[in-house]
Amino acid sequence: MFSFLVPDRRCHADPMFWITVFFAGLVLLVAIIFFSYLIFESMPIWEQGVWAFLTSVEWEPAEDIYGAGAMIYGSFIVTTLALLFALPFALCGAVTASEFLSPRTRLVFKGAMEIMAGAPGVVYGLLGAALLSLWIKDFFGLIDGATLFTAGILLGIMILPTIMTLAEDAIHSVPGEYRDTALSLGLTPLQAFLKAVAPRALPGVIGAVLLGLGRALGETIAVMLVIGGLDIVPSGFDLFSPGQNIPSKLGREAAEAIGSGLHWNALLALGAVLFFGTMLLTGAGSWLLRRNKV
Amino acid sequence: MNRKMRDNILRGIIYLTAFAGMFMMVAVLWEVIQRGWPALSLEFLLQPSSNFGAEGGLLYQTLGTIILMAGAVLIGFPVALGSALFQTEYVRSEQVKTFFRAIIFSLNAVPTILFGLAGYLFFGVYLATGVSWLTGALILAIMILPTIQASIQSAIECLPEKYREVGMALGLTPWALARRVVLPQCWYGAVTGALLGLARAAGETAAIMFTAAAFSGATWPRSFADPVPTLQTHILVLAQDSADAVSQTNAWGAALVLLMIVFILILTSLVVRSRFSMEAQR
Repeated sequence: MFSFLVPDRRCHADPMFWITVFFAGLVLLVAIIFFSYLIFESMPIWEQGVWAFLTSVEWEPAEDIYGAGAMIYGSFIVTTLALLFALPFALCGAVTASEFLSPRTRLVFKGAMEIMAGAPGVVYGLLGAALLSLWIKDFFGLIDGATLFTAGILLGIMILPTIMTLAEDAIHSVPGEYRDTALSLGLTPLQAFLKAVAPRALPGVIGAVLLGLGRALGETIAVMLVIGGLDIVPSGFDLFSPGQNIPSKLGREAAEAIGSGLHWNALLALGAVLFFGTMLLTGAGSWLLRRNKV
Repeated sequence: MNRKMRDNILRGIIYLTAFAGMFMMVAVLWEVIQRGWPALSLEFLLQPSSNFGAEGGLLYQTLGTIILMAGAVLIGFPVALGSALFQTEYVRSEQVKTFFRAIIFSLNAVPTILFGLAGYLFFGVYLATGVSWLTGALILAIMILPTIQASIQSAIECLPEKYREVGMALGLTPWALARRVVLPQCWYGAVTGALLGLARAAGETAAIMFTAAAFSGATWPRSFADPVPTLQTHILVLAQDSADAVSQTNAWGAALVLLMIVFILILTSLVVRSRFSMEAQR
């Protein structure tokens, strides 16, 4: 029955063994409780119809009508904008660091990126609310700077170092022989990168991007402060309209809905959708990154 | 156009774009430093805040952040260490290892706001800890658990097989092997894990904003049931009223203090990792 453990009978008399079993069990228990809580608490909403909940844009807690459409749309738009904004900078930075910097400079660069990647979301939130939204308001002549566009750009800046450092890892892990072979055939360093290294690094780079997107999708505070907080799907893909994404909705309404009936169930259903999204992105992302390493 | 020229132009574009990206990062730092620096002074750090946080200092906010992050690591670290050792030292089956890895992985993918939602109801309501620093520390402990465990586990998995083989040849029990061979070689993984965990907990706002933090008036917690003010929520509140100049200065000051706490923790973890991981693999 316990054949999955190391075959050493002395373990069973060792209290330290049981302590580690206890802690591992605790982690397992936490995960099980959390995931089943998410499923069971959102059940009342799913029973009313999954598709209706996902597509309806009406969210009226006073009348117990809940539709996630506006939030899902907002999350999608904001994450896509963040990706489009961050991608060129992150990829060029990763290529420069991996292929053209001296090993020492590269380490300093990587360290700086890893530190920046840990900067708290609320600091970005402050930057967004106090500076970026004002700049965007003045630059595009808007009435209010809190828009989907602002949130997307802010998130793009935020996930830039994360994507850069992970993509750099993926590019750098391509064995040196590929570069040497290409160079010995007379290719320039850049051609060697484009023709020999880039195709090998591509899955890992995509993985890095997906992990960054997972982070962007789940970010609450920075988005909450600049997105405007209006549960609408603006007509004609208007990016300069206030909107709402899932985490921001959760952050705004959790305190008033705590424990109370269908409103709480609806928030947890939103949470379940969000978790499904981040799980998909980070799952695919780290699968690609790991495959790259082998 | 010969290929050398095309090469140089393309390289120029790549360098410029990379530079623009770097410039943005520097600009982010620069804005926070330039706006936060005027607010920083000894009084600012050592005075309690007044007028709903718009004036005065940061004493209790900083203490609150430290209490929450220290509490989270004190609770989360033993669990992560025990669970990591169980998986690396006692489990033999690859399937079981993969299963545990998937669990840790999916916990790591959970958006932090969901820990706030679920944690509040579980700890705050069912276990009756209420809106308090204890609830916050417990939620943050779960949040940083995957960070700490992944760090410990990856350090242990980097240990060359020969160390283990020597230990086993001496007839050590699995625990003696862990204690005498694995931990002395891989302690840096535990240290970097704890530091990264501290940094993550210090920077987290969404999970604690309605579970552990009080926005004004609260001071030093006198019991397990007291909420604490924190730097994160302090910044959040001040960021929302952007009209008042004094409160904006305070917000930037708080942001700079928080940023410095987080950066110092991550920097230390990077230094520890790069210095000692090489030693272990020699």
